[in-house]
Amino acid sequence: MFQKKSIQQVMDVLREPELAKQIVHWKTIEPREAVSVPLPDSLHPTIQSALIQRGISSLYIHQLSAYEAALRGESFVAVTPTASGKTLCYNLPVLQEVANNPEARALYLFPTKALAQDQKSEMNELIEEMGLNIKSYTYDGDTPANIRQVVRKAGNIVMTNPDMLHAAVLPHHTKWVSLFENLKYVVVDELHTYRGVFGSHVANVIRRLKRICNFYGSNPIFICTSATIANPKELAEQLTGNPMTLINNNGAPAGRKHFLFYNPPVVNKPLNVRRSATLEARNLAKLFLENHIQTIVFARSRVRVEILLTYLQELVKKEFSTKSIQGYRGGYLPKQRRAIEKGLRNGEIMGVVSTNALELGVDIGQLHACILTGYPGSIASAWQQAGRAGRRQDESVVIMVASSSPLDQYVIQNPDYFFERSPESARMNPDNLIILVDHLKCASYELPFQEDEKFGDQEIQDVLEFLVDEQVLHKRGKHFYWMNDSFPAHNISLRSASQENVVIIDQSNVADVKVIGEMDRFSSMTLLHEEAIYLHQGTQYQVEKLDYEEKKAFVREVDVDYFTDANLAVSLNVLEVDKETTDEKNGKAYGDVMVVAKATIFKKIKFETHDNIGSGPIHLPEEELHTSATWLTFENKDLSEEKLEAGLLGIAHVLRHVAPLFVMCDANDLHVVPQVKAVHNQQPTIFIYDRYPGGIGLSEKVYGSWDVVLDQALSMIQRCPCESGCPSCTGTLEEGNNSKSLAVKLISQIKGATEHVDSK
Amino acid sequence: MSIQNKLNRLTKHMVNPVSIPPVQSKQSLENSSGKRINHADYWEKFGASAYFFEDDYCIIRKVKYPLDTKWGSYRFSDVLDAVSQWQNIDAKHPLQAKDLDATDLLFFDTETTGLSGGAGNTIFMLGMSQIKGNHVLVHQFFLPGPGSEVALYHYFLNHVKELRNLVTYNGKSFDWPQVRTRHTLIRDYVPSLPEFGHFDLLHGARRLWKDTLPAVKLSVVEKEMLGVNRIHDTPGYLAPMLYFQYCNEGDPSLLEGVFQHNEWDVLSLITLYTHMSGIVTGNCYRTERETYETARWFEALNQKEQAISLYQEVLQTGDSLVSQSKKSLAALYKKCNGLEVSVRYWLELLDENDIDEEPAIELSKYYEHIKKDYEKALHFAGLAYSRWKGKKRLTKRKEEQEKQALTKRIERLEQRIIQYS
Repeated sequence: MFQKKSIQQVMDVLREPELAKQIVHWKTIEPREAVSVPLPDSLHPTIQSALIQRGISSLYIHQLSAYEAALRGESFVAVTPTASGKTLCYNLPVLQEVANNPEARALYLFPTKALAQDQKSEMNELIEEMGLNIKSYTYDGDTPANIRQVVRKAGNIVMTNPDMLHAAVLPHHTKWVSLFENLKYVVVDELHTYRGVFGSHVANVIRRLKRICNFYGSNPIFICTSATIANPKELAEQLTGNPMTLINNNGAPAGRKHFLFYNPPVVNKPLNVRRSATLEARNLAKLFLENHIQTIVFARSRVRVEILLTYLQELVKKEFSTKSIQGYRGGYLPKQRRAIEKGLRNGEIMGVVSTNALELGVDIGQLHACILTGYPGSIASAWQQAGRAGRRQDESVVIMVASSSPLDQYVIQNPDYFFERSPESARMNPDNLIILVDHLKCASYELPFQEDEKFGDQEIQDVLEFLVDEQVLHKRGKHFYWMNDSFPAHNISLRSASQENVVIIDQSNVADVKVIGEMDRFSSMTLLHEEAIYLHQGTQYQVEKLDYEEKKAFVREVDVDYFTDANLAVSLNVLEVDKETTDEKNGKAYGDVMVVAKATIFKKIKFETHDNIGSGPIHLPEEELHTSATWLTFENKDLSEEKLEAGLLGIAHVLRHVAPLFVMCDANDLHVVPQVKAVHNQQPTIFIYDRYPGGIGLSEKVYGSWDVVLDQALSMIQRCPCESGCPSCTGTLEEGNNSKSLAVKLISQIKGATEHVDSK
Repeated sequence: MSIQNKLNRLTKHMVNPVSIPPVQSKQSLENSSGKRINHADYWEKFGASAYFFEDDYCIIRKVKYPLDTKWGSYRFSDVLDAVSQWQNIDAKHPLQAKDLDATDLLFFDTETTGLSGGAGNTIFMLGMSQIKGNHVLVHQFFLPGPGSEVALYHYFLNHVKELRNLVTYNGKSFDWPQVRTRHTLIRDYVPSLPEFGHFDLLHGARRLWKDTLPAVKLSVVEKEMLGVNRIHDTPGYLAPMLYFQYCNEGDPSLLEGVFQHNEWDVLSLITLYTHMSGIVTGNCYRTERETYETARWFEALNQKEQAISLYQEVLQTGDSLVSQSKKSLAALYKKCNGLEVSVRYWLELLDENDIDEEPAIELSKYYEHIKKDYEKALHFAGLAYSRWKGKKRLTKRKEEQEKQALTKRIERLEQRIIQYS
């Protein structure tokens, strides 16, 4: 009989040469003891006994700190890794308040509906045990109308999401009088998800919330919990506008954890292409699953989840029923998700394949092994996924399997970058003019502004006057009144970066037409124009129709030996330079730009030979984007235009991957455009600009850390084992130019341009 | 020609409003320090006065109509009869005005800056009409600018203390919640809202005319059912825009049409209440459809007696709705122990048409469970099945369910027959 191996024995297998040579880094994180304290005496007796009944007879030190901060009336942010008992950080102060004052109210904000549902069941169990009459409800799109009335009038604890708060609660605040009059706590869970455009929107929603609280005479304490990021306090203060106490004395125990970097073998030397990360992840997962070790596998997309799931169920079907390996991603029904979570907790489910949906604080208990298929894009996110494995006592193992992308290759070859560097800062810009104006409309709808009123800490007189001119507001006496027949919150979505995305519809199978993805409108001009070959998860599709008005691209699966490359005529006009560092010719700058882009023609390019085998025009309107950007200006000493272009393209290719890494944003939020001759100075220039109108502070952050970004870009190119550029570094170019050496040359040149001379 | 002149010329074709000159108009357009409000001359001419509260004011307009004025196919005075007819009826009904006097009714409508029900939607006009002695009084309260709401609601709540018998059109889900929202925003400065009761005529209009009219908007109902023809009406959807324009330009004459529109709305509500009460209490001509829908209305309210008598009226006088009424009657009798009567109706229904399987199913049930006559029960079940098969259905799932139910019935009955033979 096949003998099941323990996790230690499986790790011995990983140490065998065949596998070990692919493991480029093996880090062991030593166990940590719990730091516990007794339940505080001041805690309401019914809460004490309820906790004891649930087997909680002491608190971790950070839970006590949270409780004490709340009692002192301080807003705080608690940094809480997975499985450190973060819910008590906010539930204790809230329950304590409600137990002492039955009129008190608390508002819980979760980034998704599912998390609110989870918390409600947990909360209700605790409340039941306490035997007090505390009402806790979720309030979301699924709440039936008759329940809504009850929640509004009598819910001590209302659990909802920012979108509901924005569109359903705040504009109707007169129906929530008793909530706003008695609001003691606002809990913001998963604080780290409030970054970028979404965070900027939510910060404004909270400004509106505070304005309404002020109207009804309440001044709630904000409690935030966050995964590990570099700047939890700053982010919480930006989001809530309150001074924050930072609580990061995590007292929860953790077992020994092994963190392995796995680089699949190279299968195509000249192109430096490695074996598929998906297949390698499958094999590794099999190793754990056939030894009955509970494992979670993270994949980067929904489709890959499904592929991996099919593989794994097939592989271990002799071992278990297919039921014990499950997928978990957005798009599953809530009921299905709850069943999977429960199965994981009680051990009925042995393996789960998930998208980052499980990064968030859904309770699935702790697993033994975790496999990351590809680098998730940020250090913070990687740690969160890794946190899914890690028993409080037992050993656990995390394996990150790299793909061929430059980013993955960079991370896996620079373990120090990953382990030594603090996780990324989360950025937002609540004062982005476009977002601000949107929310000022909503806020005016909710309550008239007074002449010298601020919004958060922002002076807004000019904007209000502008809205008067636009005939949205009406000024009478010292007040600005909403004077429009629309409902502003309905036209403003908190989630979409560029307001409209193009949906990609696969109509290969007439009977089963389905949406396979979406793309922002800007990129769609060059990637989804008619006749374009669109690659999706390795499958080729041809675009048959791009309905630019309705934002739909209809594609059909094809099998051809060419790809398409569209020319985007981008003109970048520098409108204003805000910051600048230069020597005579080389320079770095930051400011406002106007991007005008128009897709002109596309070429069909044959695989392998890269012959141009046809072309056609693209008929799409011009797109304009007014945003902030940072740019590098190079002095051209002696390079031909062709060589210069190759070098710039190479750098741009690397920057596309490195820059988002440093500002913790999605790769789509930043655009990199190289120009051999920029309009404003006629010099070779590389622009990096924010993809959201008005900018959300990303390129400004890049400007502030150009030194580090360029260092990393340089080391990424130099460390790549290829000779003259490959998809993992400077990208593939037409034959003849060594983009790699050209890029290195240019970067070294501009690095020398700063006052900080590199010591190397 | 200004709208006002136009209206003056056209009034004799329609109605006979008598503007009452505002009492002490001179003083009432001046505040305590003697300063006249903006456009005081205009308001004076328009028959409006100002009500001052603290530093602010709102505009009040009153118009009187003689009680015997004809508005559409009724005179205002007919509402007195309509209310008195209710005194003889005991059945529960949303329009029931037993123990009320026509003068208790307050016909109420608002004009707002938007259609959404949120905190940014402002009511800029509250209008109501009421029977007062020998005339109808229209009373309008107007917000001269955003921010003057305290004055507006202060006057409104101090002068209209009794809101227990509001008559509105969609007021239950729109106008009144909106009044509540506005009140919440200024509740610290004005009296609290009194208790209110409600006759929402939209609900009844839907019940009676949903299938006859293209839409049950007040403007359609009034034209098609009440014979009210408005000439040069300012449509309600223009009201927000006109008000915004007035706010920006300050010219109150922009709103003349809105005042007029609101006035006509609250007058039409009187006629509409009269007419709908007449239909329900049986004191005016009603079409077969109206009789039938009224019966269904009473049935939904669980007023079986009223429902039965109205369905029977359809049977006697009607034509296209006879079968449906019979089915309802059969079901009603079944519920109140009149099964034999039901059987008679079902048999009649079977004879009258050959597509509906429901009477056959009911008869099959009756013979199986009450009469224990399985042969007969099977006969009707078979009949039901063959009728059912002849029909087309919309959804597959429902079709499957119905089929299963029928075949199960037939199988069970066949077994019974074998068992007992």
